[in-house]
Formats: sequence, C-alpha cells, structure tokens
Amino acid sequence: MQKVGVIGTGNFGLALANLLSINREVLIYARREEIAEKINTTREHKGQVISEKVVAISDFEEITRECKLIFPIVPSSNFKEMLVQLRPFLTPEHILIHGTKGLHIESDINVVEELQRHEVLTMSELILKETSVVRVGCIAGPNLAKELSDKQVGGTVVASRYNDVITEGKKALHSSIFRVYGSNEVMGVEIASVLKNYIAIAAGMLEGLGYGDNSKALLITRGMAEMIFFGKAFGADEKAFMGLAGIGDLMATCNSKLSRNFRVGYFLAQGKKPEEILADLNEVAEGIKTIKVVHLLRHYKFNSPLADALHKVIYEDWDIEKGLSYVMNLPVRDDTDFFNTNA
Amino acid sequence: MSSRKSIEKPLPSVVENIEEWPIYVTYKNKEEFLNKVKKHVLQHSSWLNKEPDTLRNELKKILYQEKIRLTKTPWKSDDPKEKLFWSGIKKQIRNQKPIENRGDTQEVDEAILNEILDYYTDKMVANFKPSTFKFTQKALPFVYSRLINSFPRILSKIFSSVDKLYDRMKITGDIDHIRKLQEMGTVVIVPTHYSNLDSPTIGLSLNNLGLSAFTYGAGINLFTIKTLSKFMHNLGAYKVDRRRKHRLYIETLKAYSTVALTENVNSLFYPGGSRSKTGKLEEKLKLGLLGTVIDAQRINLVENGGKKIFIIPVTLNYHYVLEAKKLIESHLKNMGKENYLEDENTNSFGLIKRTYKVITSNPGMTVSFAPAMDVFGNRVDENGESFCKIGNKVEVADYFKLNGEIERNVQRDSQYTQILGERILEEFRENTVVLSSNLVAFVAFQIIRKRFSQFSVFEILSLPKDETTISELEFKNVMERIKDRLIKLDKEHKILLSEDIDLNPQELMTAGIQKVGSSHPKYVLKNKKGEISTQSMKLLYYYHNKLTGYGLEEYV
Repeated sequence: MQKVGVIGTGNFGLALANLLSINREVLIYARREEIAEKINTTREHKGQVISEKVVAISDFEEITRECKLIFPIVPSSNFKEMLVQLRPFLTPEHILIHGTKGLHIESDINVVEELQRHEVLTMSELILKETSVVRVGCIAGPNLAKELSDKQVGGTVVASRYNDVITEGKKALHSSIFRVYGSNEVMGVEIASVLKNYIAIAAGMLEGLGYGDNSKALLITRGMAEMIFFGKAFGADEKAFMGLAGIGDLMATCNSKLSRNFRVGYFLAQGKKPEEILADLNEVAEGIKTIKVVHLLRHYKFNSPLADALHKVIYEDWDIEKGLSYVMNLPVRDDTDFFNTNA
Repeated sequence: MSSRKSIEKPLPSVVENIEEWPIYVTYKNKEEFLNKVKKHVLQHSSWLNKEPDTLRNELKKILYQEKIRLTKTPWKSDDPKEKLFWSGIKKQIRNQKPIENRGDTQEVDEAILNEILDYYTDKMVANFKPSTFKFTQKALPFVYSRLINSFPRILSKIFSSVDKLYDRMKITGDIDHIRKLQEMGTVVIVPTHYSNLDSPTIGLSLNNLGLSAFTYGAGINLFTIKTLSKFMHNLGAYKVDRRRKHRLYIETLKAYSTVALTENVNSLFYPGGSRSKTGKLEEKLKLGLLGTVIDAQRINLVENGGKKIFIIPVTLNYHYVLEAKKLIESHLKNMGKENYLEDENTNSFGLIKRTYKVITSNPGMTVSFAPAMDVFGNRVDENGESFCKIGNKVEVADYFKLNGEIERNVQRDSQYTQILGERILEEFRENTVVLSSNLVAFVAFQIIRKRFSQFSVFEILSLPKDETTISELEFKNVMERIKDRLIKLDKEHKILLSEDIDLNPQELMTAGIQKVGSSHPKYVLKNKKGEISTQSMKLLYYYHNKLTGYGLEEYV
C-alpha cells in the first residue's frame, strides 16, 4: 500500500501523521533537516511521541514520488511559498487534502483599504491556482492537536468536489479512534474552519471576563449564523456549517484552553496586549488575521457584528466591554435568519 | 506558442484520401460501430440492473414517455411506423408473466431492451458518403459566396465572388497547429451558437482548414425535407431528438458520441446547447455531450494507445443575425424560463429560407479558432503535449489515475467536465473578435442606459425614440473611450479586434452603424445629420450584448 505524506511539523501536522500511521506508512516533511533528524532519532517532537511508522524527510521530490496522497498542514502565511517549492514535483495524479484553517490574501492587508473577492483565496483555491493538482480536498473539524496526540476518540470531515478524494482520505485516516465523515461542500467547510477562529477569540474573551455558559452559548450560536452569512457571500452552502467543521469545531475551540485563538481572547480580556500574546504563543493564531480580512471584505455587505466588534477591540483599541456592549445593543434579527435565502 | 493567421483560400486536406478518413471508415462499418455503442450503453448503465425489477420498471417508463411524446408533441419528422414499433413493445411487456417469475422474464426484458436500443441507434446513426462530401466541398463556396454577395453582382462575376467571400468571412486561428493536431489525434470543435447560419459557416471553415470531415448531432426537426435530410445524413449528421428525455436515450446518445470519438472521428458540439437568445456570449454550457470527450480520452488511454483528443473552441460573430428579433423577444418573454426555440417551425425548409436571407445580405462575419486544448482545458503545444496553467508539462493519464491505475469514475469525470466547460467559456471570451457593429451597438445602448440609470432593462427597451437619440459628438467620445479599453484588453489577450476597429473615429462609426443588423426591416442604428437614433431598442440591446461581460460599462 502506498505511503501517505504530511507536509508540516506543527502540532496538528504531527498529530495527523500519528493518526495516519494507524493505517499507513507515513512520510512527514520537515523544512529543517535537523528537525527531521530529531523526529527520526528521538521519536518525539513538540511534546508528541511520534509513531515508528512515521518517517521524517526534508525532500519535496521524495515525498511527491513516494506519496500520491499528501496532507499539507502549513500556516496560511507560508502556504503559497510551500506550494511554489512543491509544485515542480506535483502532477494531476496527486491528491492534496489540506488542513490549514486560514485564507491566502493576494494583497498586503496592512496597506489596502478593502479586499476584492478574487484577492482572497481559500487554501484549496490556492492549490488549484498554483499547481497542476486538480483533486483537492480539505480536512476540518474539532481536532485540537493535543487531544488527537493523546489518542482520544474524535472525528473529522474530509471535503472535496471529488468523491475519490473523500474515499482516499477516509481510507487513510479512519480508524477505531478517529471517525472520518465526507462532504462535497468544500467552500463551506473551508470557510467554517477559518471563521471559527475569531469566534474562538471572542469566546476566550467572554471566559476571561468571567461570563458563563449562557453567554458562550449565545456567542457560539450567533457566531455560527455570522459564519453562514459570510459563507453565503462567498458562494458556500449553509449545510457545511451544521457539520463537524462548523458547529463541531466551534463547540471544541470555543470551550477549550487548548485552542490558540481561545487563549488569545482570554489573555486579551486579562489585559494583555495582542503583540505580547502572539509572541508568547509561539504558533500562529489565524483568527487575528481573519478579523482583519473580514473587515476588509465588509463592502460585500454580509452581516458580521462579531467580526466588527473584534476589529474595534483588536485594531482600534476599544475596550472589550465596549465591544461587547456594541454587539449587545445591535437590533435583534430572527433566531434562525441564516436559513433565509437573502440573509 | 500560438501564431494566428487568416485563411485566404481553402487549404489541401491533411489526409488526402477520403477513404482513409475515420468518419468514412467508421460509418462504412456501421454495424460494428453500432454494436460498440450498444455495448457501451449496457456496460455503463448500472441503473439498469440495480434491483431485480428495475429493468422491467425502466422499460415501462420508456414506453410511457415515448407514448406521451408521440401523442403530446408529434412532429412531421416522426417516423409514421413508430407507433407500431412501440405498440409491439407494449404487447411484449404485457404478455410477460409477472415479475415474480424473474427466471422467465429477465431474459425477455433484456431482449426488449436490446430491441429498443437497436431502434434508437438505428434512428440516430449518421452516414458519410464521399461523393456527397466532394459535391458539397465544391458547391458550398460558390453557393455561399453567391449568397453572400448581392445578386446583380453575382450574375456578372460568378467566379470572382469566391475570392470576395473571404473578404467578408474572416477565418482566423493557429491554422497550422490545428492541422498538425489532426494528424496526431481527434479534433473536437466547440463553437459559440448565434444563428442557423452557424453550421454552414463552420462547415465551410473546417473544410478550408483541410480537416477530415466532422460528425455532429443535429435536431431531428432539421430533417424534415427529404433531400436535405439525406444530404445532412450523408455528411455525418446524427439525429438527436430533444423530446426524448429518458435516460436510456440520453445514455445512447452519449455512448454514440463517445464511441465515435474513440474511433478517431472528428466531432462537433455546440456546448451552449441552443442559439444564444440574448446575443451574449455563452455564460453556461450544457455539459452532457461535452463530458463524452473525457470518457473517450480515458478509453483511448486504456485501449487505443493513448490517442489524444483535442478541443478547439470557435467563436462566430456576425454583423447581422436574421433571427435576432425572434431570439431576443423570446428571451424577454421567457426571462428565467428555459425553452428550446427549435420547435417544428424551425424545419429544414425554414432553415434554407432563413440561411438564404441571412447570407444574401450579410455584411460580414468572423470565425475565430481558439488555441487547442486537451480534454482538461490545458493548452497543447505543436507536438500535442499538454501544459497546465502554470506551464508544467502534464500527462492526461495522470488525471484518471488512482493508486497508479487508470480508473473510470463518473463523479470525478463530471467535475472534469465542469473544468473543461469553464475553460471553453474563458476561450470564448478571449477569442471573440470585436466587430465595428458590436462596438457601435454597445456604445449607443450604454449611453442610453446611463442616461436612464434608474430604469430597468425592460423600461429602457420601451423608451420612445426621441428619448434615445444621441448626438454624434457624445457618441464619438464614448466610442473612443471604449475603443481604448478594447485595445488594452486585446494587448492583454482578453479579446480580439477586427481590422475595422483600426479605422479613424468617423469611419469606424460610419462602418459600424451601416453594418449593425443591416438588413432588419427596422434599422438598428442610423446617423442622420449628426443625430444617431434607433428604430428598435430590442435589436440594439441584442447586438450590444456581445460586449457585455468585459467590464466595459465603467468606461461609458
């Protein structure tokens, strides 16, 4: 049976490699050779024990030759650079299922005043644009890396336009501890997994301010509505938001101190500055960038009160309480307005 | 990679001996060909034998739908013996024992199915007669050029008129490349569709390129006159009955196309389905038959040494479309509804009449061949090798491989068909040749639209004449801005410009106004003492539509 590839040695990449190793031999790509060597010799990295069936390498040519099914798990800010290096070795025979919960922006978001749709790409759109690969999918769901590496039972969704991508993803990843569901709603799944990051920041803030479960449930429910409004503006179907990548991932990340985005919100509420928190985190909190991106896309006129408030707090120096009051005083809409066709 | 040029005169055939042409060889061995078609249907219609009683139910459904068609939408072109055939099928089904005795009926049901398949394929199948082809090859340019010029001139200059033909009919594209590809594989032509004149125009153009003849599906409503019907039949036209919606018929049609492609027969589809009713470029394609190129390519990889199929989009553009009024009115009436205009009134006699009228008075047309692509929309080089959008060489086999094996997968291929469809639309946009008539119609309509920016299209179309008159000065100003933008788009390879766009503003305006829809009873545009006006906002809208979708509106 063919080996499966993983690109990226972040927490999620490592956890995924371990899960894949239940069924297959796995090659994991580490950019730095010394990390590959460390993984191969010590069988440990970033606090995770690495399965014997996982071999780390630093050669793109080798991973594309050995594996036709590859999971790129790289932060969105490095994704394009990775693709450019990888693409000389990719062919239409390869299947790429990415696990990156972020967007690629073609412009500098610190400079432009607004973004156009064509400047904002999901990772699968970026793969299609930058490589000769056509069979693309994504993996998303309540997949906190720490719990995965502890071999706790869990599940995920593999989404693709192509059923064979879903089938191959399932065959590689499904096991007695990890259930893999399929979906053809790629755009919805990708958008859900990106937007939930900033909802998690808001959840962290509520926790940091000492609010309880009612408050959080309100946030999660209206957060999902907001994700759907945005998704629809991007051409996504609302169905995906009801699945593991939507409500599933929201429930995990909005309730867990393991979530980086949640921690960002939590520490902000404790009075820390964003720069400080990000420096401490050591890994990317995609939600901070997403808030800015949603803000720059607001001319598409979707309803995004939470993103608006978070933008004011993070980028315009508002107090969190003021941001909360802003959201709480907005006009009230129908409970399930996200089902409306013109919502 | 691409070097466009125009054809001044017909080129010699790439394959000189007609009897070597795949279309000839295939239709000569008709029985063998049809057996392959039937085998393909039976092999790939998994829905026929999912449940024990499925086949019986399917047969009943077919019978029901055929009876409805015969009673509710009978056409003159229908075979008078057809009723008898379906009565026979009905009897056979009724006489069978109940389904519980499957051991008895399954075999009979299969025989009935085969009988229906025989009937469908027999009705569908085309022919190719070299004598008919040679006759058409010789006669068409003369007929066409006679028709395209005005009568008195023709009578005096019959022979010089063929040369004049190519002054009015501009055929452009990377001709050498297309000819070379025909030697390496199968060519599939996918044109835009505006007019009933498209088929003779394309037919003549393909012949001038020197390509082996093409097989193509033609609506059975075009087969009503016996002589013409025979003529089309002998030139490779297979019959398509759009009233038959049953999946067995659809599958048979697809199998027909797939097998013809795998037999290396050049094929032609109008991927837009029917003529554009708005005058706009196609915005959405009908993917059914188009998808057969992907399945055929896969079969070629497994069975035919990997012979490649090349897709060449073609855009047609006319200064004058006779059916414009009927098309745009039908569109306005049926906004949002789908209906075919090809009812029985569009019979072959009507077609001849119309074609004749259109070309006798047509001030010109363009036929623009886009660069060739493989079935996944990748550009191909002079050796037929595929290169993806980022310039990497790619193998078509890789698209079909899963775990190293080439596999049939209908769901995957339907996605590939969508990709191909999007690429065809892109090529349509980029290879549209802008005529002076398109430009002036666009300018005039957009000036009026801007003047009444708060009005809906319907309201604008019913404005009185005095509200829609434009001064020459205003007209020229806007025209210059749009022209500048078009030149920029041309440089960016996003559109093509005809020679008359190079004219100075006065000449360009005059030429465009003179040519736009030149022979409609009502004038589309007229310049009287510096005042430009129209007698038909609907037609103006129709001709203007060709340039929508390029973002030119903001330059008005």
